[in-house]
Amino acid sequence: MTRPPAVTLRGVYFDGHSSRDRAATLSLGESAQLTLDGESHAFAVAALGVDPPVPGVRRVIRLPGGARFETTDFAPLLAWERASGRNRALRGVAWLEAHWVSALTAVGLAFALLGGFIVWGIPALATQAARVTPRGVLASFDEQTLHFLEEQDFIGPSGLPRERQAQLQREFRQVQGWAGGGYPYRLLLRDGEPAGAAGVGANAFALPNGTIVMTDQLVALARSDRELLGVLAHETGHVTRRHGLATVYQGLGLGLVTTLLTGDLVSASTFAAAVPAAILRGGYSRAAESEADRVSADFMRGRYGTTKPLQDILTRLEAGADARDSEPTWLDIFRSHPVTADRVAALKALDAR
Amino acid sequence: MSESTLPDPHPLGRHEVARSGTSQPLPGALTSTPGVPQVTRHDLRFTGSAGEYFRLWIVNVALTLVTLGLYLPWARVRTRQYFYGHTWLDGQNFEYRANPSALLRGYLLVGALFALYSFAMQREYYWLGLPLLLLYVALYPWLVWRSLRFQAANTVHRGLNFSFHGTAGESYVAYGAANVAASIAGIFALPWAWFMQRQYQVKGLGYGQARGHFRGDVAPFYLIGLTSLGLSLAGGLVALLLGGVVAGAWSALSGELRAGTDVEDLLDGPTVLIFLGVAYVSFLLLYTVAWQYVRGATMKYVLNNAELGGVVRSGATFSPWGLVWLGVTNSLAQVVTLGLATPWAAIRRTRYVLDGVHVRTIADLDHFRGQAQQPGSALGEAATELLDIQVGF
Ligand SMILES: [Zn+2]
Repeated sequence: MTRPPAVTLRGVYFDGHSSRDRAATLSLGESAQLTLDGESHAFAVAALGVDPPVPGVRRVIRLPGGARFETTDFAPLLAWERASGRNRALRGVAWLEAHWVSALTAVGLAFALLGGFIVWGIPALATQAARVTPRGVLASFDEQTLHFLEEQDFIGPSGLPRERQAQLQREFRQVQGWAGGGYPYRLLLRDGEPAGAAGVGANAFALPNGTIVMTDQLVALARSDRELLGVLAHETGHVTRRHGLATVYQGLGLGLVTTLLTGDLVSASTFAAAVPAAILRGGYSRAAESEADRVSADFMRGRYGTTKPLQDILTRLEAGADARDSEPTWLDIFRSHPVTADRVAALKALDAR
Repeated sequence: MSESTLPDPHPLGRHEVARSGTSQPLPGALTSTPGVPQVTRHDLRFTGSAGEYFRLWIVNVALTLVTLGLYLPWARVRTRQYFYGHTWLDGQNFEYRANPSALLRGYLLVGALFALYSFAMQREYYWLGLPLLLLYVALYPWLVWRSLRFQAANTVHRGLNFSFHGTAGESYVAYGAANVAASIAGIFALPWAWFMQRQYQVKGLGYGQARGHFRGDVAPFYLIGLTSLGLSLAGGLVALLLGGVVAGAWSALSGELRAGTDVEDLLDGPTVLIFLGVAYVSFLLLYTVAWQYVRGATMKYVLNNAELGGVVRSGATFSPWGLVWLGVTNSLAQVVTLGLATPWAAIRRTRYVLDGVHVRTIADLDHFRGQAQQPGSALGEAATELLDIQVGF
């Protein structure tokens, strides 16, 4: 390292025992020379404490014994620090803080990191958290959700004949045995329009602990039971992959991030946190749907050698949803998924393999 | 090297450093009779700028994100150093000198305990979660006390540090008993709690060997509380009416489209939702306004009634309503700019407050004698910062 150049700084001296300010100069060379009222005092340079720079703020050099020297001669002090290798990290930070280029880069970086965290980080963390959540936690979800749905007239008692219900339950047992995972599966057949169009309509959805609800309207829409089994296998995919719980955790994560971002703006954060939660209510992510589709395809291809029945009912649901133009609900929107064409294409690709 | 190599200050030394132009003797004081000390007024000056602080802020945010939060104590300390360092009184600036590594240890401990608590509550391990919660409640006044000590001892002006001499016991009265009373008796005890807490803060404050004194009374705090209560009630009424009007307009419009005139039809889902939405947003706004008013008004009152060492009195001329306006417009700007206006908002608020603060002194500000106080552990400060406890002014 080069020997630091000798610099002389003009500034103010405080002795640390009184609030009295006195003009002084400090020379930094082989040793430090403080000149005060015409008298000179020498220190070892190593005994000085040089506080890191903060933009526009008077610099502080701490002298032995609690005294201090403060100066606005920024440039010479910085040159001396650079040569003597002091405050390397925080000098770097101060350099970044002093330039607009680095500030704008920081804006881009901050938004990219936050965006990346929201788009990939939170879902990945939520999936992990959902995977390790003990089963006991899951049980309460199903009952609460069902209770809510029945209370709000989203679903009602099924109008299907008893024999038809028994037949569907028998068929479901095949899917259930195939899906595994040790969940207490049960199939609930329900009317999707107990109070007119406000219900869930032709639909099927899975709750975290293995409760699968299928509506009379979906049963009516199917041209064969194979189609329904494809749908039920898809729903067991949501259960075993814990997509429902992951969605809940994602909502929590987003709420946390917005709270952190808005900081002490307590009022705004509660409001802002509601927005992403509402966006999330659109349903599972596309990735989750694709995963459940692949689970169902495994089942269909193993049993029937093709995923055609699943493709058919997906297409028919889409057509029906377009005709009704109904609002999406926060449940697994099997019928009005925006990318049905993509999903059917992916299933066809699986068949072609 | 021993300190004996440094000269002792002359007791009657002249000021070698030019005074800032803001200090001038008061007109009334010029004609004062001999023997009555001359009163000098010094205005606080704030020299921070929005552009400069924006760069500091965003660079520190980015560094905090990149380091997964480990840089946070440095970011916090630099932010404070910026604001303190740009605050000038009688030609000398303030300084914040907390040790970021000490803060980091506190942050990690508090963060770990909080994570443990969240984990326990999420898994319904109440045997673990509830004791942690109880521990926090029991330690709360102690943490506030530690935080006040830490903040004061790390604030420096003219080479002397501030200090805090309030005791932990007093904190259990001002922050423990008073908060419990306020949570039971609500608005009847809340202003008393504010009074107790401000008094505790000001009385305990020290600068060098000088001690703070609070001349304030509890009554004005009740006045502030009543004003904000009245504001909330009147505003709440307006919010309800506004929600009704908007929902009514929506209902009428959509009702016309559907050609439905039944009352039951008018009270459909969307109408109720719109009513609730408008009312909710209005209440949030109202809450912000009322809270900003309480903060601004108490700060002004406290500043107008604080003394230091019997020779310095602070005073405030800013308007609490101006602060309310600033708070509302700042929040709007922050939301619209996705948070990028946060530094501008902070500078704007600080400038507004500090431009309206002065001290009157009957002695020169360079006559204070020092008394050191160690900041102590950073645990209290870390807890109050991370858990969002509002201490300080
Ligand atoms: Zn699905």
